[in-house]
Amino acid sequence: MATGAELPPRRSRVAAASRFLGVRRELGTSLVSVAGLVGRPVRGRGGELVGRLADVVVRSEAGYPAVAGFVVRIGPRRAWVHAQDVAGVEQGQLRLLSSRFDLQDVVRRPGEIQLVADVIDHQLVDVDGVQVVRAADLYLAAPGETWRLVGVDVSLVSFLRRALPGRPGRRPSPGRVLDWAGVHPFGIIGGPVRLSRPNSRVHRLRPAEMADLLADLGRAERRELLAALDTDAAADALEEMNATDVLAVLRDAPVERAAELLASMERDEAADALRDLPDDEREDVLRAMHDESARELRTLLTYEEETAGGVMTSGMVLVGSTATVGDAVTALQAAARHPDQPAEVVVVDQEGRLLDDVSVLELLGVDPGRPIAELVGPPWPVTVRPGAGLRDVVSTMTDNRGSSILVVDEQERPVGRILADDVIDALTRRDDRRWPWQRWIGTSS
Amino acid sequence: MTPTKGLRRPRLTALAGLAAVVGPGLLAGLSDDDPAGITTYSVLGTDYGYTFLWVLAVSTIALVLFQDLGARIGVVTGQGLAGLIRQRYGARAGVLSITALFVANVGTTTAEFAGIAAGGQIFGIPRVISVPVAAVLVSLLVLRGGFRRVERVLLALSAVFIAYVGAGLLAGPDWGAALHGLVVPTLPTSSDAILICTATLGTTLAPWGLAFIQSYSVDKKLTSHHLGLLRIDVITGAVLTGVIGFFVVISCAATLHARGISITDASDAAVALEPLAGRVATELFAFGLIGAALLAASILPLSTAYSVSDIAGRPAALDDSFRDAPLFYASFGAVTVVGAGLVLIPGISLVPILVGTQVINAVLLLPLLAYMSGIARDRKLMGDYAAGRAVSSTYLVVIALITICILALGVLSLPR
Repeated sequence: MATGAELPPRRSRVAAASRFLGVRRELGTSLVSVAGLVGRPVRGRGGELVGRLADVVVRSEAGYPAVAGFVVRIGPRRAWVHAQDVAGVEQGQLRLLSSRFDLQDVVRRPGEIQLVADVIDHQLVDVDGVQVVRAADLYLAAPGETWRLVGVDVSLVSFLRRALPGRPGRRPSPGRVLDWAGVHPFGIIGGPVRLSRPNSRVHRLRPAEMADLLADLGRAERRELLAALDTDAAADALEEMNATDVLAVLRDAPVERAAELLASMERDEAADALRDLPDDEREDVLRAMHDESARELRTLLTYEEETAGGVMTSGMVLVGSTATVGDAVTALQAAARHPDQPAEVVVVDQEGRLLDDVSVLELLGVDPGRPIAELVGPPWPVTVRPGAGLRDVVSTMTDNRGSSILVVDEQERPVGRILADDVIDALTRRDDRRWPWQRWIGTSS
Repeated sequence: MTPTKGLRRPRLTALAGLAAVVGPGLLAGLSDDDPAGITTYSVLGTDYGYTFLWVLAVSTIALVLFQDLGARIGVVTGQGLAGLIRQRYGARAGVLSITALFVANVGTTTAEFAGIAAGGQIFGIPRVISVPVAAVLVSLLVLRGGFRRVERVLLALSAVFIAYVGAGLLAGPDWGAALHGLVVPTLPTSSDAILICTATLGTTLAPWGLAFIQSYSVDKKLTSHHLGLLRIDVITGAVLTGVIGFFVVISCAATLHARGISITDASDAAVALEPLAGRVATELFAFGLIGAALLAASILPLSTAYSVSDIAGRPAALDDSFRDAPLFYASFGAVTVVGAGLVLIPGISLVPILVGTQVINAVLLLPLLAYMSGIARDRKLMGDYAAGRAVSSTYLVVIALITICILALGVLSLPR
């Protein structure tokens, strides 16, 4: 692998391209355009025409995959020529060492990529640049003895160039060339194997980046990428998507997978997504889900969307008033696995009624043996009822300058927490549903 | 949650579901009734009365078939037509298609702005005002509006088409003759008649509409669950397109044709209606023309922008910001600016541009339909939704029919 960097910075594209161009100069003219090879003559030892090149096949492997062989069209047949039997690959033609052929029609084998059929003009994920691209051309080079796939050209110029007839259409025009090692192709038999390698760069993408990629991909490609992610990573990406995209992904997945993804999402986000599903599908998904998750989500679903209950998350750290500070710290640590958990612990009495909301700051430096009840005191937590409208939630939150407020039921029992970002989400969603003039003049109701 | 009330709820849910899906078919269909379309229908009615209404019916059926196919391909593959052509048929096919599509779309946009200028003049608004205002309005709507909002405004805009129904009713048509013309095919014999029949087919089934419905279904993130509702949307859109065309034809047939008046474009038709059906009919006609042009002038740059960014491999959506999708917005801007700009150049004759555009659209339509039916049969792309033999042969029959029309048009248009 050419780059040793752990996590390449997002805008390293130009640097990568110029690095690649440097390599290209070293290679001289030995860079071969795969798109330019298609349809070119394949000649035997004596220079006689044997057939015409149809495809280039590489092994699906890490780094720069070696060319395994070529698909050659001989009359109506597509024959296989092993890479060993090729004397030279040039832009204009392919020269063979012998005229031995496997005249059986080529079959697609797992672990191999047909560059023309599978990659050129198809969607790819540029993992370093975090974008969906189409391959305009692929470049082969032979740094050692073997020909390897080294780069993907994604420039518009190269795509347009290929429409030109004759030699100009075949000449490599490396404009925006991506390092093949930083690209993820689709639709390849055995493809997900490549992805599931733990060090694959795809796994280092941030959830928001993954969400952008998933939204841009075609359906089959999206499905493939999603299938290759583990449930938590996929759920994190879903949380970053907009409601329509989430809905599309969930409805596209089998019910069991959808249930699994929803159960791994933040509760409030999952409830939002479920609200958008038609009744029967929502029921199917909930039934396929683990009992506890389904019960929590069903509770959230009983609240109207634009109320405190509809935007809150039911995940809270609850401790009884008899607990010690040490217990509270342990509970907080256990909950810290979820990145969205606020650094506060909710203290309740024996009947489950809210006593106080104690922040981690208040716990700092306090003897773990002390009862938490001793920390209960003003300032008292700000609360709203589940039925409170979005407007009340916003004003309560802005009046109190806190990062979160608690939602309590009629008996003062805490049922959930609303974080500032939940409110932002809800407001954005509502804004999306407005008419243009309402948004342009900034109507606030 | 609102309590469930007996039988009402399922129906409401179904309606809500439809409301979420509605859009691609209605917008793509109705924007086919643009000024070029209205002009063609007006001429069809003015010169031949009710005789060739059946051509409109056939065009509508072809529109239903291929719009439905486009929407289905979009939903199943999640990719736009231009990108799929590149993927399935290679770079050369892709570059040629997108170049032709771009040029034709700029030309068609010019026609839309010309329609706005002509419609505005009926109300006494000079083109130097109406065209820039329309261009700014359309761009603001699409660029600042956001996805859901744009759709609603465009759908609201398409309500102006009721104007044509009004104009048609005011004209007092001969319903018996209209029905006869609609169901009994009379073959066109003169070359002018063949020309206008082909033009009717060509204006109804437009390449940019096909590209648009597919890209828009993708952008709307519709899934295969929506296919049933989407079909309702597509059929409604296409049938409404036909119905509006029908009313344009009969309003001209009942008035202008009956008096032997001849016209060259849709605003002529609007003006000519005045002494026959009253000022209201004229204003309705002109109002419909402006609304139709605005709708199409929003959709055309959008369709082009989708296609260009899709084929370039940078899929873009209406929700993306300019920074995320520069190519998308640049294409949108280019089409709008050139389209509106051409209309504003003093002393320029738009006729060669409009005729050239029609030729490119006609020539482009055939390969596009062939690509679409090829993609529809491709199991690798369409999976379980791939078209079977029977459906494919229906597509082929329609393509053959259109080929005959276009060839006839080509032969007849040769200078003699």
